[in-house]
Amino acid sequence: MSGRSRAVVRWSPWAGLQDKFTMSSSGIPLIGLVDRIRRRIRQLRPSGDIAARIRKRKKVAAAVGKYLDVLRLGLLATGCLWLLALPLSHLQSGTYIDENALQPSQVNTYWDWGDVHRADKFLQDVTSLLDRNLSSAERAVFFATEFAKSGIPSSTQRYSIPTARGVLNGTNAYAIFSAPRTSGTEAVVISASWKSLTGGYNLRGVSTVLSLATFMKHYSHWSKDIIFVISDSHLDGMHAWLSAYHTPTNPNQDVGPLSIASGVIWTALNIDYPGHSFSHLGVFREGLNGRLPNQDLINSFRVISQHTGGVPVLLYDHYEPSEFPGREQIRSFFPTWLPDWIREHEDVMEYGYRAKNILRHFVYQAKGRASGAHGLFHQYRIDAITLFAVPSNGPHGFHALGRTVESTLRTMNNLLERLHASFFFYIITTPSSFLKIGSYLPSVVLVAASLMFGGLGEWVKAGWVEVKDEYMPSEKEKVANATPNSPKKKWIARRRDLLDAFMVVVTSHLAGLSIFVVICGEWLDTTRLAYIITPMCWVTLVLFRFTLRPPPASANAAPLPVLLKAINMCLASTLISVTSVLNFSLAALLAITLGVPLSFSAPSRSLPVCVTKCAVYAVLAFGWLALSGEVTQAIWDWQVLGVWFAPLVCLIYVPFVLQAGVVSGLAP
Amino acid sequence: MTFEFALAVATRTVLAFSPLERLLQDDNQLSSPLTSYSRLQEGVYLFRHGIDPYAGGTFRHSPLSLSFFSTIVPASRIPPALLWTSLDAVGAWALVNIWRSRSNIQRSKRDLRIAAIYLLNPYIFLPCLALSTSTVETTLQLLTLMFASRGQSSLSLLTLAVLSHLSLPAILLLLPVLLLLLSDPLSHLASPKPFPQKLSKCVPLLVEFTVSFVTLALASTLVAGGWGWMRNTWGAGFLLPDLTPNPGLWWYFFTEMFDHFRPFFLAAFSLHLAIYVVPLCIKFQHDPLYASFLLLGILGTFKPYPTLSDPGLFLSFISLFPETYPYLRYPVVTALLHLHAFLLLPLFHHLWIGTGTGNANFFYASTLVFGLANGSALLDYVWAGLRVAIGEEKEGWVVTQE
Amino acid sequence: MRWSILFFFLSWRFSVTAAVEEYREELTLRPLVDGKLAAHFSFSTLLRSAVPRDPSSLGTDDTSQHYTLFPLALGQILREHAIPEFHLTINSGKWDYDRWGHPGEPGVGSGAELWAWMGDGTAVQTSIDARWKALQNSLSGLFCASLGSMDALHTTSPANAFLPTGDLPRLLAPARDAYTLRHATLPAERVCTENLTPFLKLLPCPSRAGIAALLEPHRIFDADWHGLGVHVRWRADRGVQLTLTVQVVLDSVRTSTERRRDWTLESLFGRSLPRSCNVASSSVVLVTLPSDESAYTLSPEPHVSIEGTWSRTSDLNIVMKWPEEERFSYPLNIPPLSDLSVRRTLKGSSQTHGELSVVVRNNRPVPVRTHYLETMPWHVEFFLHTLTVTCGDRGVDCASLLTNMTYTPSRPHATPAQLLATLELPPHETLHLSLRVRKAFLRYTEHPPDAQRGWDLPPAVFVPFDAPHRRIYTPALLVDLATPDFSMPYNVIIMSSTLIALIFGSLFNMLIRRFVVIEVDVKVD
Repeated sequence: MSGRSRAVVRWSPWAGLQDKFTMSSSGIPLIGLVDRIRRRIRQLRPSGDIAARIRKRKKVAAAVGKYLDVLRLGLLATGCLWLLALPLSHLQSGTYIDENALQPSQVNTYWDWGDVHRADKFLQDVTSLLDRNLSSAERAVFFATEFAKSGIPSSTQRYSIPTARGVLNGTNAYAIFSAPRTSGTEAVVISASWKSLTGGYNLRGVSTVLSLATFMKHYSHWSKDIIFVISDSHLDGMHAWLSAYHTPTNPNQDVGPLSIASGVIWTALNIDYPGHSFSHLGVFREGLNGRLPNQDLINSFRVISQHTGGVPVLLYDHYEPSEFPGREQIRSFFPTWLPDWIREHEDVMEYGYRAKNILRHFVYQAKGRASGAHGLFHQYRIDAITLFAVPSNGPHGFHALGRTVESTLRTMNNLLERLHASFFFYIITTPSSFLKIGSYLPSVVLVAASLMFGGLGEWVKAGWVEVKDEYMPSEKEKVANATPNSPKKKWIARRRDLLDAFMVVVTSHLAGLSIFVVICGEWLDTTRLAYIITPMCWVTLVLFRFTLRPPPASANAAPLPVLLKAINMCLASTLISVTSVLNFSLAALLAITLGVPLSFSAPSRSLPVCVTKCAVYAVLAFGWLALSGEVTQAIWDWQVLGVWFAPLVCLIYVPFVLQAGVVSGLAP
Repeated sequence: MTFEFALAVATRTVLAFSPLERLLQDDNQLSSPLTSYSRLQEGVYLFRHGIDPYAGGTFRHSPLSLSFFSTIVPASRIPPALLWTSLDAVGAWALVNIWRSRSNIQRSKRDLRIAAIYLLNPYIFLPCLALSTSTVETTLQLLTLMFASRGQSSLSLLTLAVLSHLSLPAILLLLPVLLLLLSDPLSHLASPKPFPQKLSKCVPLLVEFTVSFVTLALASTLVAGGWGWMRNTWGAGFLLPDLTPNPGLWWYFFTEMFDHFRPFFLAAFSLHLAIYVVPLCIKFQHDPLYASFLLLGILGTFKPYPTLSDPGLFLSFISLFPETYPYLRYPVVTALLHLHAFLLLPLFHHLWIGTGTGNANFFYASTLVFGLANGSALLDYVWAGLRVAIGEEKEGWVVTQE
Repeated sequence: MRWSILFFFLSWRFSVTAAVEEYREELTLRPLVDGKLAAHFSFSTLLRSAVPRDPSSLGTDDTSQHYTLFPLALGQILREHAIPEFHLTINSGKWDYDRWGHPGEPGVGSGAELWAWMGDGTAVQTSIDARWKALQNSLSGLFCASLGSMDALHTTSPANAFLPTGDLPRLLAPARDAYTLRHATLPAERVCTENLTPFLKLLPCPSRAGIAALLEPHRIFDADWHGLGVHVRWRADRGVQLTLTVQVVLDSVRTSTERRRDWTLESLFGRSLPRSCNVASSSVVLVTLPSDESAYTLSPEPHVSIEGTWSRTSDLNIVMKWPEEERFSYPLNIPPLSDLSVRRTLKGSSQTHGELSVVVRNNRPVPVRTHYLETMPWHVEFFLHTLTVTCGDRGVDCASLLTNMTYTPSRPHATPAQLLATLELPPHETLHLSLRVRKAFLRYTEHPPDAQRGWDLPPAVFVPFDAPHRRIYTPALLVDLATPDFSMPYNVIIMSSTLIALIFGSLFNMLIRRFVVIEVDVKVD
């Protein structure tokens, strides 16, 4: 038999051409050179192994194709498991202070009982303001006058911000203490909002700020202007003040101009002291749209509060498991059906504690919501945190708080540059440990990768279909290449017609847009909306099965569901992986809410399965409308503060789920 | 066809009057220092007040656009928006005409799709909304190739002269345009043959181009009242005085460049841009239109001050070469790369410039992704353009390069 | 008020025969409305009938110099570079015009400011800029200040805003522009002891006797505001006059434990005035009495008469008390004391664009015409076409109030921009100027070591037409410029080049290689 194992047909469309040029190379002499280079390359690589190389490549491709689903699910599972593993202390590293200039708690503080006494006097006045329930304008005038009495130029600012639920009116008071011997180009802000983040009144926070103003005037060691802001309400007042200090961005928000100004604001401390005394100081850090302050600020505050103020530091108001209330909190954090010996176990406790912190962080960051008035500073490149005096029956009060704030300001005062050294992307799990970006980012990226593989797999599936080969080889050829596996299958290419799929995608996004417009207008209660829209959507999805029929018997054209799923998954994967750098919690949320449903969307032959699937997707797409409280809050955030969560859900999450629904609604 | 075309243009007009324009005007992806509209306004303002706009570094537009915008277009908001939209419409019309003369038919169902692909291509219409003058250059490029493929030599050479006067790198298109004028725009990819004409024939055309180019230069010298404009406009492409970020590969390279190596690498980058012309024209001498298409890809990838509209033009040209689609090797990878880049560029720019949490490397990385996307599209089309000639693969046989 | 100023004489000599050199020292103490106290030291040496060197004689040897009181070090600098007039001020702090009024010496812009008028001519060998550079270097050597960094990036020539305060001698060989101005500011420059010590060395009685004895560094540099000034001018009728000034704003409320604004020379400067400086032809302490109605006592009794030669032997310790008030209560609303109130801010937190907004208020009942001078380094570019001028809070457009504007655009990496315009301010009217600016992107070698701090921008200057020497400086600004990663050069070169090489390589690879058709799925047995 002929041992001819490979037949190489060599010919080139250029053959005649080259001769022509090499002969009459008047035109372009380059060809000769090109030929020489080409010959050199041919000597370098004998063409025999090209075929082998291609065969190897094909084998690899085939293997990948065979195990694609395993790979996808493996990636998906790993990603989700990784997310669950985030609270494990093994992934985490201890916090440290990166910027050498900070030198936290290296100064001796001057805040003494006289200042505490003054703060108490201020507290009486502020309380009387509340009792005589003065208008916010009168309050602001009072604060401004108090600042002026201690020799600090002060002023007030009124604002009115329209929302779907009426207009927010208010007045802020602020004062600017220009530090001696400085040109006043940098500034630090100490602020307190009239309302606490607990919803109560922030009387003691306000009096702390007033007393601090009088106190700081008496010292000449400040190297930055210090701006004292007492903002009206909880968030909107501070938003108005900040947007007036920088350029007002939203034209239909009427914020009054500031009559006195200082330089560039670098850092800000927001004081929130709702109770009558406190046991711990909690740190709130999340800003609008998931922006976080530089970690050095938090770390140096922790050091100062523990060493100078003698106050233990908490994340939010979560007690540590080592303390009694903490144990209770964490026990209640776990489901009750867990046996006690598990819930009481130390490692489980630790896991629960960290998981609780991470979860709270995720909720704030994914919703893009500011966890306190400090969160509004971040969008202007100002690093800010809220010091929350956790209400309790003691032992600490104005004395400890004053010392801590003074020392923290002295630390900020040491700064020669903007805070830039430490991390901006991190997840703090306990006051003294955190997750680096490298240790939490992969979880989401893995999910995105699995989606991407799925999409590409679908794309290939759409392009190629495996059919039985009818053609029977003749005897000679059988002898020539005796193949055991005959009749052999063969792959035939299919036409991928993207137009319909794109139409579906565009329509779904338009649907999302219309939903967004509707809920922004707040014409009708979103809960009722949910009850109307979800069934409608369900019916429509099912109806697609009968309306959107693919052209019959198109063996050489890819079916719509496959194409649609391919596009859908690729888009979703791209969005998740891009978002993960910007706002990790949001990306994680998308990874969970999109990754799983989209991976399992597929057309099914049986009608009932299809109907149930459609129902699931309809609920996923519009069920959230039933949480009317959350929706209203999100809309408020969008309209007043410009938080991207609401539009993002409507314009990205809903359309993708809808596309998945269409995929499973259609007939295969 | 005309109706849908009008519809597309109408939607674009509506967009032109949306508040987007204010947001986009100074976006670094959409308008480079050489094409930004606010810089143009600044130059016009200085010119009107008798201050030489070329004395400073703000204004880098050609004196021709200076005189044009200081006399004809008023400063108010409506006329520029209309002008820019109509420029895009003209561009789309030109693209459709190129398709017609390439496929050698009067009208086809494909026309509308081509026009839509151009008008709705975000790379094309976002710069147009930002009133970046790169839209003008795009339209001029399209007109040049349209006239060239219609065989109207003097018109196309004049347009090319204006174009390369406005943005010098476009002069690389001269050779393929000359070849195109001497041959036809029809698709010969499937049957490569040596260039039919004698190359000596392009000498008069070359002379014509040179004359008009020099005339334009002299005219602008008259307008600017001196040669100073050359340093600011053409010189910027070689010396890179303004390091404002853009989607291209130059700016961060020369931000981070050691001072004593700067001249060497500037020279290297400028030469590198010119290297591709002759080889591509030799290899695709049977189809100069395809060669110029590939050169547009080169420009969009390696220009000194690119905007999104430069790669956008290259991508919209793709719709003119359906014969190459079956031979693309990784179109989906290219598409996904472009998708990622398109999302990453504005996001990372915002992280760096706006919120300040990410540093310059973020945006630099996204420009690398963008460069990779453009490069992969370019390479894939070079391959496909060559591969067409071999034809369909037989069962069990593979066409490859040794 | 009748006695608005009281005189305390340490010494006073009538020299009938005018000596060649004359030295006068003077200290003005001014209680301010916000409880602070402004002190203005001025030591002036007059070199009678001396004429500045003519620049055309720079090549040749100079006449020898002999001084008894005039500091030789400074004299040499003046002769060496032929400087008829120059002014150098180094200040720390932000002068609060509204509360403190106009300073005794107008140059109170924060940081260092140097401006000199220099003669040019056809026969002058060394160019103006060379002499300007040399002047900076010699002055920075003399006062231990880093004035040497006032290079072309900072130097401008706003001749209308900084008119010569003295006369300029007629040149032998005048050019078309006989005298030209060079002006530069370093807003980030701080003043400290290392500047004061050489400064005192220039005085005939350095810190032993006379008023200079009060210049005790610890007290001076603990003040809320302090600045040094060196001013040289030539008067045709008198001669070359050198005036060294020290201005201080002290907060006696802050330093006193019971928060009172009483002050004595001891409490302010840590010592009382010892014996007088013998070579001083006059040394005077002036106290401006507060204009408010609060009752105060002043001891000892001042001398208000000028008669004959008189000298003081015992120490002088001026004491001013407000016996009624037990602690100082800050006035709640202070009417602005200056002619103009100016506020200048750079808005917007983006690192690519910003908005420069200037708010000027005319506090006088009469209209005021004033020069408005903006000097910007090249890395902040003006968009002049966005310049808007509005009046009042209603935002009425009144662009007509900003007239004859001259503008020199900045050149990248080279020269600053200079904008000079005339403002017509109606009585008690507020003008809002707003201007969009573009922030440039710098090479990584152009950033300072503390790149994340930002760049200090020089103050804007307002010069009223009717009182050209009552300049008003706005506070300096800080601008954030986007920074590259300073650890990246090699990585960037490597990665970008890799990408380019990848595309280049594979493209040419495709172009030059030959196509082959190969049978692949052959089962080998």
